[in-house]
Amino acid sequence: MNALSPLERKLASAAQTSLLDVRDLHTHFLTDTGTVKAVNGVSFQIGRGERVAIVGESGSGKSAMAMSLLRLLAYPGKVVSGQINLDGRDLNQMSERQLNQIRGGEVGTIFQDPMSSLDPVMKISNQMVPPIMRHLRISREKALAEAISWLDRVGIPDAARRIDGYPFEMSGGMRQRVMIAMALSCKPQLVIADEPTTALDVTIQAQIVELLRELTEETGTAMIFITHDLGLVARFAHKVGVMYAGKLVEFGPVKDIFAHPSHPYTQSLLDTIPPVDQPERRRLAQIPGFPPDMKVPVVGCAFKERCAAAHKQCFETAPKLSSRGPGHTAACWRPEGLGTARHLNAELVPSMVSNTEDPVVVEIFNLHKHFVGRSVLPWRVPPTVRAVNGISLSIRKGETLGVVGESGCGKSTVARLLLGLDPATSGDIYVEGMAQMVFQDPASSFNPKMKLSDIIGEPLVVTGWGTRAERGDRIRELLTQVGLDEGYMQRYPSQLSGGQRQRVAIARALALKPSVVVADEPTSALDVSVRAQIINLMVDLKHQLRVSFVFISHDLLTVSYISDRIAVMYLGEVVEYGLTDEVFRNPTHPYTQALIAAVPIPDPVAEEARTKKPLSGELPSPLNLPLGCAFASRCPKATDYCRAEKPALRALSPTRDTACHYAN
Amino acid sequence: MLTYSFKRLAQLFVTILGVVTLVFFTMRMIPGDPISAMAGDNLSGAALDQMREQMGLTEPLLLQYLKYLGSIAMLDFGNTVTTKLPIVQLILGALPVTVTIAVGTILLTVLISIPLGTLAAYMAHKGNRALDNIITGAAMVLDLMPSFWTSLVCLLVFSLVLGWFPASGMVSLDDPGQLLRRVTLPIVVLSMAQIATMARITRTSVLEVLNEDYVRTARSMGWSELRVLFRHALKNAALPIVTVVGLSFGNLLNGTVIVEFIFTLPGIGNLLVGGINSRDYQMVQTLILFYAMIFVVINFATDLIYRVFDPRVQF
Repeated sequence: MNALSPLERKLASAAQTSLLDVRDLHTHFLTDTGTVKAVNGVSFQIGRGERVAIVGESGSGKSAMAMSLLRLLAYPGKVVSGQINLDGRDLNQMSERQLNQIRGGEVGTIFQDPMSSLDPVMKISNQMVPPIMRHLRISREKALAEAISWLDRVGIPDAARRIDGYPFEMSGGMRQRVMIAMALSCKPQLVIADEPTTALDVTIQAQIVELLRELTEETGTAMIFITHDLGLVARFAHKVGVMYAGKLVEFGPVKDIFAHPSHPYTQSLLDTIPPVDQPERRRLAQIPGFPPDMKVPVVGCAFKERCAAAHKQCFETAPKLSSRGPGHTAACWRPEGLGTARHLNAELVPSMVSNTEDPVVVEIFNLHKHFVGRSVLPWRVPPTVRAVNGISLSIRKGETLGVVGESGCGKSTVARLLLGLDPATSGDIYVEGMAQMVFQDPASSFNPKMKLSDIIGEPLVVTGWGTRAERGDRIRELLTQVGLDEGYMQRYPSQLSGGQRQRVAIARALALKPSVVVADEPTSALDVSVRAQIINLMVDLKHQLRVSFVFISHDLLTVSYISDRIAVMYLGEVVEYGLTDEVFRNPTHPYTQALIAAVPIPDPVAEEARTKKPLSGELPSPLNLPLGCAFASRCPKATDYCRAEKPALRALSPTRDTACHYAN
Repeated sequence: MLTYSFKRLAQLFVTILGVVTLVFFTMRMIPGDPISAMAGDNLSGAALDQMREQMGLTEPLLLQYLKYLGSIAMLDFGNTVTTKLPIVQLILGALPVTVTIAVGTILLTVLISIPLGTLAAYMAHKGNRALDNIITGAAMVLDLMPSFWTSLVCLLVFSLVLGWFPASGMVSLDDPGQLLRRVTLPIVVLSMAQIATMARITRTSVLEVLNEDYVRTARSMGWSELRVLFRHALKNAALPIVTVVGLSFGNLLNGTVIVEFIFTLPGIGNLLVGGINSRDYQMVQTLILFYAMIFVVINFATDLIYRVFDPRVQF
C-alpha cells in the first residue's frame, strides 16, 4: 500500500481528472408486470487508462449499467436519471445523433458472445472500415490499411486476406479478436467490455485478457470490464466495483478489496470460490436465499436477508457508500462487514474417500469414438472426426474423477459413451451397476409439464421399481438428500431457481442408486454463490452415499476442489492422469501446465507474480490429426521428435501417467 | 455447386413427371371429353364415336398415356383439339400479359410490404405498439379479402363508377399505355393479398434480427438507426423474405387465372380456363406442364438468391 509502483503513481495522478464520472445513474425496465429498477443509483469515476472491473451475480444490474452508459439498452430498458460525464460532457443529455459520434469513436464496446456479435452476412472489412472512415475522418484506403494493421495487432494471421472473409469462417477466439480490433480501431478513450471472455475457453480467455491488457496499456485506453469471474478481476483490474441489486456495494483498488473486503456480500463472494493450493479443503461458503425482486422497492439494505451480520438498522435504512480506506468505499453499517460471522474456518472436508481396497466401478479400456462424415465422391475417404481417440480410465467406488480440457477435446463424448447414449467405435466400457447423468442446463433437461415428483420418479417407474407408495417414499428421501423439502413434490420446473433445478437433476440421477453419476458441466450455468451450494451438495453426497462421480468441467478451480483424481484431455486423448493435488501442484505435461497457468486465481498479489505467457494458438481440427503428438503445434517444448513420434501415456510414478516424451 | 445443380435437375424431372401423370388422369376423370364438348347436341352418337376413334381417344388409357409421354419427350406439344392451332404458339402469344401481371404484382408487393413490415418491426422493437398494431391489423384485413371479391369491387369502383381504367377492350403489346391501363387493376388486386403475407413475414423476421447481438454491435459503433435497420437488420432478415417471394410466385399462378378471367385479359390463365371448359386435354396438359416448369425454375432461382444474401449458404 505505501510503496507505489510508477504505474500506480501515474494512475493516481490521472484519476484526479477522471475520464468518466457517473453520478447517481438510474436505469429502469418498464415491463408489463412492473418496473424493474435494474440500476438504482450508481456513482463511480474512472481515470484515464484505468481498468475498472464491475462484478456481481446475474441480475445484479452490472450489464444494464454498462449498456446504460452509451444508451445501448434494448426496449423496455431506459436510463431514467443520472449523469454520465465523459470528459466533461454529459452523455445522458446528448441526442442520439450526438451520441452516435461518441459510440464507436471515443467509447468502444466489446460484447460477450463473439459468435453472435459480428454481422454474419457482412465481410469483416465492411464492418470495420466504414466506422474508421467515419470516426477518424480518413479515406477508404487509409481506413482499410488501419483496419488491417489492427487485425494484425490482435493476432489475426494473414490479416490482409482475412479481412475480406466472413465471421463464420473464424473460430470464437478469432472473432473476439476481431471484436477487440473493431472496438479499439477508432482510438477510443474508453472501452466497455461486457463479459468479453465468458464464452471462451480458459486458454483462449488467457490470450484475450492478455491482449486487452497490452493494447489498452499501449494506447492508454481506460476500460470498464464487466465479469462474474473474480479470478479475472484479480488478474486484470486496477479497481473493482461490486454490484448487488442495482447498487454498488463496494468500490476500491483491487488489492485492497481482495485483501480487506469489507462488505458482507464481497466477503461471501470471495469465500464461495474454491481456494487454490490449500493442503486441506474446507466447505465453501454459501450465500443463502435469493437476490431481491427488483420490481419491489427495497426497504433498508438489499442484502439484509442473506447477511449473517444483519441487525435492526439494516432493516430500516439503506447504508450509503462510506470510506474504508484510500479510494475504498463500502455500503454497510458495520465497518468490518460480516466480521467474526465470516466463513473463514469452516469445517474440513475429508479429502480422499476411496482407497486402493475399494472395488473398481468403471473401467474404460482403449475407447475410441469416430464420427464419420459423408464424402461426396464414393471413392474418397470420408472425413472422420476422432472425438475420442483411445482413452483408458478407471474409477473406484466413492471416487470422483475430474475430466478437464478445452471445448472440443472429447470430454462430453466420453460422458455419452459411458452412459451408453452413443455406441463406441471400438474399445471396452465396463460399468459395475448403473451410470446416471446430470446435465449442464437443468432447465432444458426436464419436461416442463411434469411435476417434480414425476420427474424424479420417472426412472423408478421406467424400471418398475417398487410399489406406488414405495416410490413416493423414495422420492421424499431423495429430495431430503439434495436439501429440498417434501413440498417441492407438487411443483413444476418453472417454479424453481437454477440451483434448485440442479438439485432436482441430481436427485433424479440418484433415484436408482447408481454406482456412478456423470456430471457434465453441472455448475457452469449457475451463479457463483449457487455454484458453491451445488459443489457442497455433491461433496456431501459423495461421503454419505459413497457414489462415484465423473465431474466434467472447464472450470479448473471447481474440478480441483471436488475431484480425487483428474484426467486432462486434449483432442480425444488423456494427456495426464493422476491424483488431483499432485497434478495441480506439479503438472508434468506442457498442456496441463498451460491450462493451470491460464486459470486466473482470485488473488491479485499472486496473479502479479505469475508469468503470463498464454498458450498460443487454438485447438487444431480433429479432422486431420497430426502424426506425432497432438499438442506439438502449440507446445513450447516441441521438437521434431514430438512431431514424428506420438508419445504414449506412461507411468511417471505410481499415481501419475503422462503422455509426453519430455516429462519427468 | 455442380453436384447441386445435377441433383436439382433430377428432382425437376421427377416433379414434372408426377405433374404430367396427375393431370393426364384427372383430366380424363372429368365427365365429358373434347368431342362432346365441341359437338354439343348437334351430332349423333355414331359420328362422335368416329371422331373419337380418329383422335385416338378410344385406345386403352395406358397406351394413350405412353404415347403422350413419348410426344413430350420429343418436345411435341401438339395442337389444340378444337382449333387445331399449335399450343406452344398460343402460350407464347398469351405469356406477355401474364408475365406483366405477375412481375408487376411482385414488384408492387415488395416495394410496399418490405418497408411496411420493417417499419412495423422497428416500432415493435422500440415498444411503440400502436403503429405496429395498425400495420399488422391492416395487413390482416387485406389478407382476409378473397381476390375474386376485391376484383369485382375494384371493377365496380374504378372502372364503372370512376372510369379510370377500362374494364375490357383490346390488349396489344404494341401499345404499352393501353396494356398498363388494363393490367393496373389486376396487379393491385393481386398485390393486396400478397402484401399482407409478405409484410407479416418481414415484420417477424426483422423483429427477430433486431434483437440479435450484432445489431447491438452496429449501434455500438455509432451507426444511425436507419443504417442499422437497412444495412444490418434487413439483410440478415432477407432469407425468409426471399422464400416467401418465391412461394408467392406460386400463389400468383393461381391468382392470375382468376383476375385474367374477371378482367377478360388474354393471358395464359384464360387459356387454361378455356381449355378446361372445352375439355381440351392437350391444351390443359401442356399448360399445367408449363406452370410446373415455371414453379420449379423459380424455386431453383430462390435457392441461388439465398447465396447472395447469406454467404453461409453452401450448395
